Amino acid sequence: MIAPTGGFWSAGSILLVLTLLGFGGFIWRGWTLFRYLRLGRVRDSDRTDQPARRLRDELVVYLGQRKLLKRPYRIRGAAHALIFWGFLVITYGTTDLLLEGIFGLRLPGTETGVYVWTVDLFAVAVLASIGLAAFRRLFLRPPHMHVALDGYVILGLIAALMVTLLLFENAGIAAGLLRTGQATPPIAAVLPIRYPGESSAVVFYWSWWLHVVTVLAFAAYLPRSKHLHIVTTLPNVYFRSTRPRGALRLIENIEEQESFGAATLRDFSWKQLLDGYTCTECGRCSDNCPALATGKPLDPQKIVLDIRDQLLREGDALLARTDATGTAPAHQLESKPEELWACTTCAACVEVCPVTIEHIDKIVDMRRYLTMMESAAPPEAQRALTNIERAGNPWGEPREARGEWAAGLDVPTLAERPDAEYLYFVGCAASYDRRNQRVARALAAILKAAGLSFAILGREETCNGDPARRIGNEYLWQQQAQANIETFGRYGVRKIIASCPHCFNTIANEYPQLGGRYEVVHALPLVEKLIADGKLRLRDDAGTAERHPVQPAAPNEEGDGQQGQGPLPSEASGARTPGVKEKVAYHDPCYLGRHNGIYDEPRRVMDALSGVERVEIEPHHRERGFCCGAGGGRMWMEEKVGQRVNHRRIDQLRAAQADATKVASGCPFCLIMLEEGVGAKGLREQVTPVDVLELVHDRLIRPPGAQTEARSDEVEHSGPKRGVPPSEGRN
Amino acid sequence: MRILVCLKQVPDSTVRVKVAPDGKGIVTDGITWAISPYDEYAIELALEHKDADPATTVSTVTVGPARARDALRQALAMGCDDAAIVVGEASGLALARALAAFVREAKPDLVLCGKQASDDDQGFVGVALAEALGWPHVATVTRFASVDGGPAGSFNGVEVWKEIEGGHEVWRATGPVVLTVQKSAKEPRYPSLPGIMKAKKKEIPERELSALGIDTSAPVAEVIAMQPPPARGNGVILKDGDTAALAAELARRLRDEAKVL
Repeated sequence: MIAPTGGFWSAGSILLVLTLLGFGGFIWRGWTLFRYLRLGRVRDSDRTDQPARRLRDELVVYLGQRKLLKRPYRIRGAAHALIFWGFLVITYGTTDLLLEGIFGLRLPGTETGVYVWTVDLFAVAVLASIGLAAFRRLFLRPPHMHVALDGYVILGLIAALMVTLLLFENAGIAAGLLRTGQATPPIAAVLPIRYPGESSAVVFYWSWWLHVVTVLAFAAYLPRSKHLHIVTTLPNVYFRSTRPRGALRLIENIEEQESFGAATLRDFSWKQLLDGYTCTECGRCSDNCPALATGKPLDPQKIVLDIRDQLLREGDALLARTDATGTAPAHQLESKPEELWACTTCAACVEVCPVTIEHIDKIVDMRRYLTMMESAAPPEAQRALTNIERAGNPWGEPREARGEWAAGLDVPTLAERPDAEYLYFVGCAASYDRRNQRVARALAAILKAAGLSFAILGREETCNGDPARRIGNEYLWQQQAQANIETFGRYGVRKIIASCPHCFNTIANEYPQLGGRYEVVHALPLVEKLIADGKLRLRDDAGTAERHPVQPAAPNEEGDGQQGQGPLPSEASGARTPGVKEKVAYHDPCYLGRHNGIYDEPRRVMDALSGVERVEIEPHHRERGFCCGAGGGRMWMEEKVGQRVNHRRIDQLRAAQADATKVASGCPFCLIMLEEGVGAKGLREQVTPVDVLELVHDRLIRPPGAQTEARSDEVEHSGPKRGVPPSEGRN
Repeated sequence: MRILVCLKQVPDSTVRVKVAPDGKGIVTDGITWAISPYDEYAIELALEHKDADPATTVSTVTVGPARARDALRQALAMGCDDAAIVVGEASGLALARALAAFVREAKPDLVLCGKQASDDDQGFVGVALAEALGWPHVATVTRFASVDGGPAGSFNGVEVWKEIEGGHEVWRATGPVVLTVQKSAKEPRYPSLPGIMKAKKKEIPERELSALGIDTSAPVAEVIAMQPPPARGNGVILKDGDTAALAAELARRLRDEAKVL
């Protein structure tokens, strides 16, 4: 098309002024927002390492729109991707329009057939997607999306851009304004519009100008709206944390600091504030939050937006007072303690956020302030912290009793066998909780049957510190971690097995922050490997024939909901005697699954067991797994508001219609929560919670001479001894 | 108001106590020590008063071995202003006399003790301290408040809430008094991290017990034997048989084995 500006000295200069106004408005506001970012005083040093990985993330997450296209958001995600890709394509054309309109310059390729086809196809696709987006907002009312005027303005502006684009192309073709050699825009050309008389040139003129002015108005509006995410997602993805997801940020030189955690806007890092600019208010985090779903006062989206809105509101005042330490009451953060304490750190929000916002870090930073500065953790949580401090476990059970679960099992301590290859880090739950002691005994029997050389620490082990760190007591976490690292060092520990995902996550992902680097494996991937390598002999359900080692199944594609439908390996190999199978649902522990990406190994272990038909708790499995309610230190806090998270989990299990008679997990806290949920709902007869390790143990063929004490039907004490000792004072 | 809290370091309640070979004490090697729980409530009560009236000072003192410094650090971390240790072994009347000597020098307006220590449950020292000082004493206290009046900053006595069966009494003391503190609804506070850091740097002045010039030749009652409770056997789950058979078996066991029927 020949631009209707008539060259620079005609209307081109006017367009230049308009362009400068539009982009000037963008830069003006953008500069202010950039200065607000620098209010965040906390150093965030690990944001520029691994550039190759960061560039890859840009390609996949930003350009590839990968995180938008996850279930169950595929259709709306695809609509968004079309709008976004359309934006990229059409921005090229817009730049061309402006350059030509002002200076008469052209960008290469804009006259080719490929380009005009691409532009027209995207223009139509974007219009259709806008229609879908508007329909959703008007009629489907997404429960957690912020549907406000801003959203409609943005949709309207984009729609106006597409309509004016197609219109000026069509009118331009009718008016014969195609440049010689320019390919004809194919879709615009066939639009059935009739122009009386000479009006096609007039329509071209006005629709062209309307298109260009809309672009410029949009540029000025952009940084004043949530649509800014189209710009900020670029740095937000690039500078996303490369820490393992399960690792919280270390407070360095903690003994020399004077304040801890976040109480004001200045107590965040620039990246945490950038998260707020990037939030699109889509509400996916809220859709998937187990706390919000069960009626708690936490809404992860609100946490992000509260910080952003406060920054936009108070940024000028804070910038004006450069000396201010941000302690004035007006600048205290608005998130309420009851919101912050409701978080289970399950990472459903982090997993699903399309623009890589880091919700958990903010919540934990604010908890750190409450716990370490104000001593304002909930009293039950403080009791758990005191118990960790004094007894090395949150239950407050005697330190001396830590190794007693192994009595009679002939499990050596490292002191007794310092040359053992593996340290089995048992963890507090499996050491003290009666139910989980059975899991520890099962694992010990499995490891023995596989002939692994391992030992435990017994009373020399202390809590890994996970609950303390997530309750916000970084100091106590560092003390616990250092104590363990020192003990590991004394014995020259290199390889560690953990049966608790929290122990696993903390030792594998967080101890390196304090210099503790080990080869850490969770029990289920280890057992999977032992089975695959033929080191474990398992009975089939007839109880006699030996099972063939399992071929590891091909890793499942993410999120297809197809797992558990395919034939079991035993059926495929035809080695198994047909028999009645029990249906066992797998519950993904958050600190195995979302935090560490261990989804397939536990499933493969289950698939290797005869008599087990693995079923899924549709649709809440794998990345969409629903927390048991115990993470983030919630295990140690009362849950009085709304439905209990674990009860919701049992509801989901029953609603999945998989008729599971067992629900298997790989985490002691999940097991405790599932047991409580099943009991409270009166479903003990219908569903039995187990650990996957117990299922393996039930089918174990022990080599001759192995110990056999680890019976899962062992007689129990009359009641749990946990909790309050008889003396009145503390505990 | 100037408050002095006397505290005792005891084995933490999470410790599994073992009787020492001589049968008269417990094994103390490698165990975790803590402030006796009622003494923690006493600290909390004093600190609440300080929260409400910043002119209040809260001091703490303990008589015991050098390791008892850790308990004082904990008290400082919770928010006490200063702490002092009298190093030496004393119990009963001699301990009360040592504390009395300290109190006469420190001249607090109010002395708080836990109503009893969680290790020996004697409940003796606070009462004996009041006797040694010639001060009045109120037991099982859950609250106190200053009595207003007199020149600003002066001490006019305290009103004291004392827990009794089914309710409470309000007492008034017009001069210095020893209060022994009962557990109250407000849990002792958890120290803030800045509090812990500050407490680490604070000086804890030390006195020798022998330098207090007190009469330690008190009449003595001493522990001559210590016995743990008998070990509890495992519970039993009855599984085999129908309901009637299970009920009969349960009744038989309750009657013949447990002898409770």
